Amino acid sequence: MTLKPFAETISFYRLHKKEIEKKDSRADVRIALLPSSTIAGLKETMAVHCHEMGLRPDIYVGKYKQTAQEILDPKSDLYNFKPHIIFILSNVRAALGETYLGPYAISQGTRKRWFERTLKETEKLIAVLKKSDAKIVISNLEVPTHSPLGILENKEELGLQKTVREINERLCDQYKKDVQVFIFDYEGFLSRIGKQNALDPKLYYLGDITLDPQYFPALTEQLMGYIRPLKALTKKCLVVDLDNTMWGGIIGEDGLGGIKLGPTPEGRPFWELQKYMLSLSERGVILAINSKNNLEDVREVFKKHPHQVLKEEHFASLQINWSDKVENMRRIAEEIGIGIDSIAFLDDNPAERALIRSALPEVSVIELPEDPARFLETLQRLTLFDAFSLSPEDKKRSEMYTTERKRQSLKKSSGSLEEYLRTLGTTITIRKASPDSIPRVAQLTQKTNQFNTTTRRRTEEEIRKLTSDKNTLILTVDVKDNFGESGLTGVAIVRLAKENWRIDSFLLSCRVIGRGAEDGLLSAIIKRAKRAKAKTIVGEFIPTPKNAPAKGFYKRCGFVLAESVGKTEMWEYSPIKNFEAPKTVTVKEQ
Amino acid sequence: MNTLKNIASQVLGLPKGKIQDTLVRRETPEWDSFNHLMLISEIEKKLGIQFTMAEVEKVQTYGELKKTVENKTK
Repeated sequence: MTLKPFAETISFYRLHKKEIEKKDSRADVRIALLPSSTIAGLKETMAVHCHEMGLRPDIYVGKYKQTAQEILDPKSDLYNFKPHIIFILSNVRAALGETYLGPYAISQGTRKRWFERTLKETEKLIAVLKKSDAKIVISNLEVPTHSPLGILENKEELGLQKTVREINERLCDQYKKDVQVFIFDYEGFLSRIGKQNALDPKLYYLGDITLDPQYFPALTEQLMGYIRPLKALTKKCLVVDLDNTMWGGIIGEDGLGGIKLGPTPEGRPFWELQKYMLSLSERGVILAINSKNNLEDVREVFKKHPHQVLKEEHFASLQINWSDKVENMRRIAEEIGIGIDSIAFLDDNPAERALIRSALPEVSVIELPEDPARFLETLQRLTLFDAFSLSPEDKKRSEMYTTERKRQSLKKSSGSLEEYLRTLGTTITIRKASPDSIPRVAQLTQKTNQFNTTTRRRTEEEIRKLTSDKNTLILTVDVKDNFGESGLTGVAIVRLAKENWRIDSFLLSCRVIGRGAEDGLLSAIIKRAKRAKAKTIVGEFIPTPKNAPAKGFYKRCGFVLAESVGKTEMWEYSPIKNFEAPKTVTVKEQ
Repeated sequence: MNTLKNIASQVLGLPKGKIQDTLVRRETPEWDSFNHLMLISEIEKKLGIQFTMAEVEKVQTYGELKKTVENKTK
């Protein structure tokens, strides 16, 4: 996948869309766009972007200025379309009507009432939409930059600009905790491209086009931030080059004192880029290095350079050697335990980018401009890492990968696997899923690919429904050891029919596999089954290209293959038999 | 005026051979009102010129479009 700069014109996208449509017709994501001005061309742009991500989109564009009618009519085309995600693209001119140009023709009291009414109406529409399973994204409103009051505008208690700002704020507050509704900061987007550029008056008067279509690609890129997590396509790891990417110059030639990094005109672009990368790491993006260098030279920068922001412990994998970058990229994925398709790659060298792009098309190669001064803004604009929620585990993720590196070195120095496991001192805590853990449970079902017996993806809403279902048991596992806490990293979903229990999903984050947590979780299920006098427990297994680590798990634990239905294997166990987790792991139940 | 022809061909999705001076807007389904706006918009950006709203509405044939552009790039 290539992230192109936003240079293409709408006609480019419209022509490409036709080509895509010729190729396939089976849709795997249905997107509804509900506009309040003309957005012809946005659909095509979005289709091309989706296609680049490997999706087959079906996009519905709502009828011109009929958003409310479509939402309120349960038989409308919108609902027939059964969207997975709905974008309500509001427009301040349409929302404010006459008030937009004549805000002070009405009294402040009337303005206030209008303001409350507008919000209520919007909330009512969203409440109706929320009955569908779709994610709802509503754009906030552009804050006008004009005022008939001129310099006195902000002396008004509830002036025009404040009214719009207040609407935006209140919308955010209203849905702060909502996992289905998201507010897209269209006002922020317009500020970035410049409100004066965004609206071409000719296009507005002749065609009611309030955003110049030359910005549709940029807008689409922002909206993709909602599509990626919807389809579990969020990137987990940012792999970076070093020379001329993280600092100016070449460490092997220019030396510690020669590279450009820090509070100087040439050093600041790299310095600020590193600071931004640190903040990405703090929100849970894993960092790794893929660089042609001598490891010792780089270690010297980590240890001695006064302005090196990112230290060795911030990186989950260091592939610093003279091997080719494709090989290194594979090693990074393997070391961290993520798929190659979870990686985004940042490298100043167009040849390296082209190499990765052709050898590993599933990696998102970030197209960097030539000038390092523009690296930061490029990175800041990316929506590759966007997720619908961030769990405490996400935020601690980078730290966890660093401790994982320490575990690996202990493993290497231990005499036997048992000695290693004993030294680790793993403790797992089993709990029933609770409202607090539901977002994390859903997230794990969405993201876990390797140790996942059935790879059934579930949304928060679906998990919530399952937790209140009497015949479903959801257990979670928290893992910790002497190196630190890995947090909630495993889930089992068990369907309880009277005498036959069926393990619908059983998954563990790859970084805790092999430490006894999987056996511990299974023993907790079996114990409960025994107590409930269940006769059999069936563990389902559905092979995928990625879940080889989970293959053989049930067999190893004494389950017997009872039948195969297509690719699905049914492994059976009789809970009369005891099943104990290995002694190297302590199992606590809460 | 090769560039103009390229732009028109791309935006309207018509082969270059069809982009003749005699091409009439209201007789060309591909040249609908939205595509007309996109065409003007792309010409403005690619050739670095500006149309007035009246000029946008006045253009009825490719020949007229070419003439308006020529006057601006002279």
